[in-house]
Amino acid sequence: MHIHFKDITKSYDGKIVLDRVNLLIDSGSESRDVLLRGASGIGKTTLLRIIAGLESPDGGSIEISMGEAARGGSSLKVGMVFQEDRLLEQLSAVANVSLVDTSVSEQRAREALGEILPPEALDRPVRELSGGMKRRVAIVRALLPPSDILVMDEPFTGLDPDTRDRVIGYIMRSKGRRPLIIASHEVEGLPKMRELILEQNQL
Amino acid sequence: MKKIGIILLWLLVWQLLSMVIHNSILLAGPVESVGALWQMILTREYWHAILFSLIRIIGGFFFGSVLGMILAWGSYRASLLEDFLKPFISVLKAVPVASFVIILLIWAGNKMLSFYISSLVVLPLLYINTLNGLRATDKKILEMAEVFRIPMFRRVRYIYIPSVYPYLYSAFQTSLGMAWKSGVAAEVIGQPIGSMGNGLYQSKIYLETAELFAWTITIVAFSFIAEKLFLKVAGICFNQKE
Repeated sequence: MHIHFKDITKSYDGKIVLDRVNLLIDSGSESRDVLLRGASGIGKTTLLRIIAGLESPDGGSIEISMGEAARGGSSLKVGMVFQEDRLLEQLSAVANVSLVDTSVSEQRAREALGEILPPEALDRPVRELSGGMKRRVAIVRALLPPSDILVMDEPFTGLDPDTRDRVIGYIMRSKGRRPLIIASHEVEGLPKMRELILEQNQL
Repeated sequence: MKKIGIILLWLLVWQLLSMVIHNSILLAGPVESVGALWQMILTREYWHAILFSLIRIIGGFFFGSVLGMILAWGSYRASLLEDFLKPFISVLKAVPVASFVIILLIWAGNKMLSFYISSLVVLPLLYINTLNGLRATDKKILEMAEVFRIPMFRRVRYIYIPSVYPYLYSAFQTSLGMAWKSGVAAEVIGQPIGSMGNGLYQSKIYLETAELFAWTITIVAFSFIAEKLFLKVAGICFNQKE
């Protein structure tokens, strides 16, 4: 699968956030995973939101697979970790994960969460969990359902170095051959991947 | 305990006042009213009247509530429907209930009058509250649901209902009482034979103040029981705590 973001442009209230950004993602290639870096407010989140189909670019195009064109990437099934956790606070960690896709059984959700969360945290309402635990629930939720691409916006916020390393291990094991685009200030512990730096609104 | 004490105190004030006035047409006391109520309870007509009004008022309440919620969902999804409904909802809110009672009496007769009136009173309240609740749903959570393509049924159950329920709860609390008041008022005006409103009217004609109070006690009691029962059931159905 190829995803080609061609000359993507995006601006808000006349202020250019992304200026002719080009990005090619090939799921068959060894360099399919991308680490997106850049100063805060430079447009990393905007680019991830365009990839997830949450926003449409003002200009440029997104080509998916065999030249099938879609503006906004809405035909892609995306597994996403948002900058905020965006969990349903009244539900348990297991329910939050199994809720998003009918193919994810409670048992699978429990097993996956058990890899990076203590067992006593699985059935408690998410509002009772710590920030770091919530982050891990959000990561499992992004990884478990079938998807074409994984997008993670600052996924390691609130994690101590040991937990972060465990979570990175879990991500790399669970993602399979799905391309991973990760925007993170924290690069320690991450395996070698294609690094792209967003500067002056360009990659 | 304190609550019961206050109620007893007010009953005592009522009794003393009625003894001072010493005219059961002007003010029947609580003892006299309870006596009249006891006499009514023993008759078949009393229970028939309760059943008659209960079915229509509660039925109207359900119909108005469900329609209000469906229309609110439609307006939430399509702003054109909201624009279309705006004048209708404004009219329902502004026009006095008595005007609707008279119009409906001419159009549809008096048999189902309390059903129509309680529906019309409940509908705008449920519509506005449901719409406000839907609009208050966390946009970020909805975005998450969009990205993960969570099926609509699950979105409704796990995202929309928890957001809308507090709004629904307060709407139900207000509208149930209003449905009773307006429903009985419609029956008093429309005079369907064998209704609670008809019972109230008959008491007025024959200056039976004790009986009038007995009917009022009955209406307040049934309204109270219906409200408590319904809110409990609604909490269970929507899987929410009161």
